[in-house]
Amino acid sequence: MPRRDAEALAPFATVLVRDLAEEARCFEPIVEMVENLVPRVEVMSPGLLFVPVVGAVRFYGGEGPLAAEVAKDLGGLTADRRGGEALVGIADGPFAARWAAATATSDEPHVVTDTIGFLSQLDLSTLRETMGGEEMIDTFRWLGISTLGDLARLPRDTLASRFGNPGVLAHRLSTGEDRPVNPREIPPELGVQMAFEEPLESLDAVAFAGRNLAERLLKRLRAAGVAPHTVIVTAEAAFGPTRERIWRSADPFTEKALTDRVWWQLRAWVEAAGIPGGIVGLSITPTDLSGEGRQLGMATDESSGIEVDRALARAQALLGPDRVLQGRAQGGRMPGERVVWSRWGEPEVERERDPDAPWPGATPSPSPALVPPRLQPIDVEWDDGMPSRIRLGSRWEPVLTWSGPWRLSGRWWAGERDADRYQLVTSVGAFLCVLSEGKAFLAGVYD
Amino acid sequence: MTELIGVPGTGLTRLGLKLLAEPSRVAPVVALDTRGWISPEAAWETGVLAERLIIVRCDDLILWPKVTAALLEGVRAMYAEVPARIKDHDLRRLTALARARKVAVVMRSMGNGLPTGIAHLRLRALGVTWEGVNRGHGKLKKRRLMLEASGRGAAGITRRFEVEDEGTDAVRVVSDVVVDQVGRAVGRAGSRSR
Repeated sequence: MPRRDAEALAPFATVLVRDLAEEARCFEPIVEMVENLVPRVEVMSPGLLFVPVVGAVRFYGGEGPLAAEVAKDLGGLTADRRGGEALVGIADGPFAARWAAATATSDEPHVVTDTIGFLSQLDLSTLRETMGGEEMIDTFRWLGISTLGDLARLPRDTLASRFGNPGVLAHRLSTGEDRPVNPREIPPELGVQMAFEEPLESLDAVAFAGRNLAERLLKRLRAAGVAPHTVIVTAEAAFGPTRERIWRSADPFTEKALTDRVWWQLRAWVEAAGIPGGIVGLSITPTDLSGEGRQLGMATDESSGIEVDRALARAQALLGPDRVLQGRAQGGRMPGERVVWSRWGEPEVERERDPDAPWPGATPSPSPALVPPRLQPIDVEWDDGMPSRIRLGSRWEPVLTWSGPWRLSGRWWAGERDADRYQLVTSVGAFLCVLSEGKAFLAGVYD
Repeated sequence: MTELIGVPGTGLTRLGLKLLAEPSRVAPVVALDTRGWISPEAAWETGVLAERLIIVRCDDLILWPKVTAALLEGVRAMYAEVPARIKDHDLRRLTALARARKVAVVMRSMGNGLPTGIAHLRLRALGVTWEGVNRGHGKLKKRRLMLEASGRGAAGITRRFEVEDEGTDAVRVVSDVVVDQVGRAVGRAGSRSR
């Protein structure tokens, strides 16, 4: 439901912005609890973690007892302290395990014994979270393929020729072949470390160091022609144990994704339990590399995109997040209404109006290149109901010709007044003006 | 480095955004907006890819050179409005940085133009005419923008030409043969702009 509709139905509701760093902080005790039962926890995102269970199954005497043990401890923690429920699933590979957990209940973990059979019943939409590919999924549905089992029955080479790499990945997931872990030896020099003579105690200093380290790691890996899927973030405390956490991603980490995760982790450690005496050493070590991040598109310039991201991040740091923006089209009659702005690097703001709706009475193209954020009062002289002069700065310009008036009927139930729009042409350019209650306003400049 | 010279309304913002269309096919491009008025809708109409256009708003005279320098370090193409009171030496340093980084920059001064020696090509708007409207009827359809090109980018020769824009990404440059005729037709416009 669009936010505007929700606010109309519940005006008393407060809109909260999702804070992934805060979610990571709240998730940290759960990660620690699982880590006490099974080592080498890999955090995918706040709320989702994977654990390799081969060794633990032998220790606990089977997958069922292990899952029950984890679920029992998690259930206690979430019910007593955090609310919500913890779902546990066991299967061959992270993708199947994730959906096994989704079909489990808090009382009963889902242990999948036949992974391929389990995957074959899943809906195609389960691919969306792991690999996106909205258009490809729609095409599959149009072709009559609705489950992963249907997809698994197609020949892989046919999917490869029709959809390329995403098609192969979708087929691989549907047949239970999760992304193969690259078994190559990782040279120790690919990791990055930082040591601090003065322990870092403030969150800002920790964040800056984490970002710097993430940038250095990716730069080094790019030079080596690889990209990380899993990294170990390690923080050494001045007076206390060294803390370590593994973060995993289905796609190779981008600079922003890695910086975010390092920041979430450091913040969780600092805010949740504190680092005794501050941080004296930080390191990020890649543990699972692939060549995927190296593949550059023919029509796009990936390396340039990374540089642009850095430049925009610097601009954002100087100006603040509200000054680096991206626009998307939305519906509306006036030029100022037809763009919805989102902060660069953040999730897109939801559209309030459908851009594909007819919008009768919309101001026709070409659009004014300059649109003031609010209607600007402007002086227009009228001669027998027709515009004759417009004041631009300190001088008056004769109106050579014009189009309009075009009626703009306001939402009377919301107190909006009717208005008339004019396109006024002078010898120095054209202007979009709105006339409301006898007053003229500038709505755009055809610059 | 290209400089656009002309008062608001002459169509230079649209022309500057149009110059970002081709670079946007390979990498993100930036429009640096000092007034907060640049509309991405006009840029999309000229062929700039919506997902590759980032608008950076900066009206602070002290921050503007720093932000521009930061952007020049990463982007391949940029349209920048230049605040009126930016110091000459800041502009010269930014120009040197843009040359070193091989960034295509289109600048439009909000004041009296850039100092000499900055722009490789200067495009001055001489006049603009619109077609499609007639005393209340019709709507704006086609703009004819007369430009004068000068500087090293024009081989040191001052040339005049005309740009036709029909509100789509098909912006056509037409021969300067017709310019004098159009110039006579809007003689008042030409003299006023100069």
